Amino acid sequence: MLIQTPAEGLYDELFDQNNKVRPQCRMLEQWLVNSNEELIAEKRREADVLFQRLGITFNVYGEDQGADRLIPFDLIPRVISASDWHTLQTGLRQRVQALNRFLYDIYHDYDIVKAGVISAEQVFANPQYQPGMQNLKLPRNLYCHIAGIDLIRHSDGNFYVLEDNLRCPSGVSYMLENRRMMMRLFPELFAHSAVAPIDHYPNLLGETLRAASLKPDPTVVVLTPGRFNSAYFEHAFLARQMGIELVEGADLFVAHNKVYMKTTTGPQQVDVIYRRIDDDFLDPLAGNPDSMLGVAGLYAAYRTGNVVLTNAVGNGVADDKSIYPYVPDMIRFYLDEEPILKNVPTWQCRKPKDLQYVLEHLPELVVKEAQGAGGYGMLIGPTASKKELELFRSLLKARPQDYIAQPTLSLSTCPTFVEEGIAPRHLDLRPFVLSGKKVQMVPGGLTRVALKAGSLVVNSSQGGGTKDTWVLEDDQC
Amino acid sequence: MLSSAASSLFWMARYLERAESQARLLDVSLTMALIDVPEDRTEQLSVPLLVSGTREIFFDYYSEITPQNLINFLLLDSRHPASVFNMFQSARDNALHVRGNLSSDVWESINQAWLEIRELQHRGVTESNASSVFDWVRERSHMFRGAAYGTLMRNDAFHFLRLGTFIERAENTARVLDIRHVMAMKAMEQQATQAFFEWTAVLHSLAAFEAYQNTYGHNLDAMSVAELLILERDVPRSLHGCLGEIASLLEQVDSGDARGSRRLASSLFANIRFGDRDYIAERGLHTYLVDFLERIQLIASQIQKDYMGWQG
Repeated sequence: MLIQTPAEGLYDELFDQNNKVRPQCRMLEQWLVNSNEELIAEKRREADVLFQRLGITFNVYGEDQGADRLIPFDLIPRVISASDWHTLQTGLRQRVQALNRFLYDIYHDYDIVKAGVISAEQVFANPQYQPGMQNLKLPRNLYCHIAGIDLIRHSDGNFYVLEDNLRCPSGVSYMLENRRMMMRLFPELFAHSAVAPIDHYPNLLGETLRAASLKPDPTVVVLTPGRFNSAYFEHAFLARQMGIELVEGADLFVAHNKVYMKTTTGPQQVDVIYRRIDDDFLDPLAGNPDSMLGVAGLYAAYRTGNVVLTNAVGNGVADDKSIYPYVPDMIRFYLDEEPILKNVPTWQCRKPKDLQYVLEHLPELVVKEAQGAGGYGMLIGPTASKKELELFRSLLKARPQDYIAQPTLSLSTCPTFVEEGIAPRHLDLRPFVLSGKKVQMVPGGLTRVALKAGSLVVNSSQGGGTKDTWVLEDDQC
Repeated sequence: MLSSAASSLFWMARYLERAESQARLLDVSLTMALIDVPEDRTEQLSVPLLVSGTREIFFDYYSEITPQNLINFLLLDSRHPASVFNMFQSARDNALHVRGNLSSDVWESINQAWLEIRELQHRGVTESNASSVFDWVRERSHMFRGAAYGTLMRNDAFHFLRLGTFIERAENTARVLDIRHVMAMKAMEQQATQAFFEWTAVLHSLAAFEAYQNTYGHNLDAMSVAELLILERDVPRSLHGCLGEIASLLEQVDSGDARGSRRLASSLFANIRFGDRDYIAERGLHTYLVDFLERIQLIASQIQKDYMGWQG
């Protein structure tokens, strides 16, 4: 099949700037060129059927017929060279370590505030800051056991961190299932390339969760909001892969500040809860009183130290977009190292000077809510209509502190199967970083791809798809 | 294991078993309606409605019992819980809840059944292709059982799943036998050939025709059919077979302090195991079966109280 070459001025994962195939992608390119359309179409159908059968679906909020939709899966993998991964891995480890140190600090000693690196107001007045977490002793001083860091590759070839997800990052099941699917559909591809394995992720996750408690053999469970949550498939998937119970709030109860699950043989104490429920819904007595998802008394049990929550409560303050610009400073402050991964330049609209710049350059910029997630409520200047621009102009003036702005990034592209054949589409990358006794990750992550030509929005809730992510073990092959 | 998971496994298996039973029953009833004299056709066709207790609901939606209406109502109609469509859907809902306790094979077999019946509902089923759809339901049920046997750990998840299967199966056997034997007795008073068909219908509905031939030869008589379906240990859908499984499964389940369901099941099991056809004849088959149904339902609710009942 013919591969459409990338647009000029963008980084493409397969072709270099002279439209020559990158050395680590040669095998893949040969395979694409030699593959015929019918076979690929057949494999795509096969993949759809398999995903349906596995039940790998997700729900889109606010969409009536959205129940059980498949996330589009693209058959062309995205390749990351061994040397690129080495840099990413070192940088991610550094970044997550600093973020954990930051969370410990702002709930204990406030050194970073005292040193004037971040203003007290930005930390303590942040709606995500949980005063109830102050001076709470957590095992190993860990707050973020599972982090998902969103990266993009800019036209300069460098990776930039777009966003840290330190609360309940999701998507890892797609990373694993995408690989399984590729190996099933195209075993011959793997026979000829040294793709680093990722299937041990559930083992590492299990190890991380057990290490979250100081007990020798803790009972660990996954807490899900239930079947109707968009990521339920993933919760069940991970619980099964780790061989631990998947529980809903109604399966747990608290007595004498200890958490128990209701089993067929009576109450059984739970030591670690890998919760996939937001802070506010964990405990109707402490957060949202209408929450039917949580467990009454859970927060008190947590505060007493009788149960560990992964991730910790109150992490939202560290992955908030208003704190994001300070992460490189955190790395320097806590680790005394230079940041390995770059941040995207960010204007904080709370600062009058930044706001003025943003208002003047609105059509060039991307504006996001400081607390938003999932690609909802954002403005992409270059593609926005006049009406949208005006709407955001007034929003920015009314509540500048709620917004940040960034330059429109040229996300890298990668050949993708689309209606008209194989064409370049924009993508990002979310590796998952696990912090337990040590910081670990599997080589790879979730690659999300925007399926519309030119679109920069990769979120699955906005019609994005996913790809298998190949980290090569050796660039020479 | 989690009480809520035990409950979901139990119900998941019950719904799947129920779907298979209903498909068998419907299949046989449609065939019987073809060979029966025209004035008795409606009676034949109402058997599946009587067994599932949905005759009244049926007339909420349809004015006449015809093969096509029956197929629509009992197979694909999503407006009431007793259709195979809704049984598959409920089975899948429960499976989704215990996704973590199921192997991929078991989950996929159930999810696939649900995907396919959605497709079927879309296309519709007519009298002429109904048989192949009944075959398909049976195949899905076999697939589920095979996947469960072949891939699940022999732990409590497996035990609760199987308890659901056998409770449902025992209930179904008792109901089918109860309703169909009345029709067969009536036919015997009238015409010998028709009676023969009636008895084969009972056996076919419960997948026990070959078993009967092997055990008793060609002579079909009322008490032997009853004996086979109640007392014969080796017939998979006999009450003896089902109760044997239930009693032994309850022995294997990690039970903590719960004893109630074990006691009830063992006592009913002993009753059947040491029962004989004269005793059944003396009490009357109908009375015997009604009593059995009450006791099996008591066991089912006691199982839920013992292992799944945290709500009360």
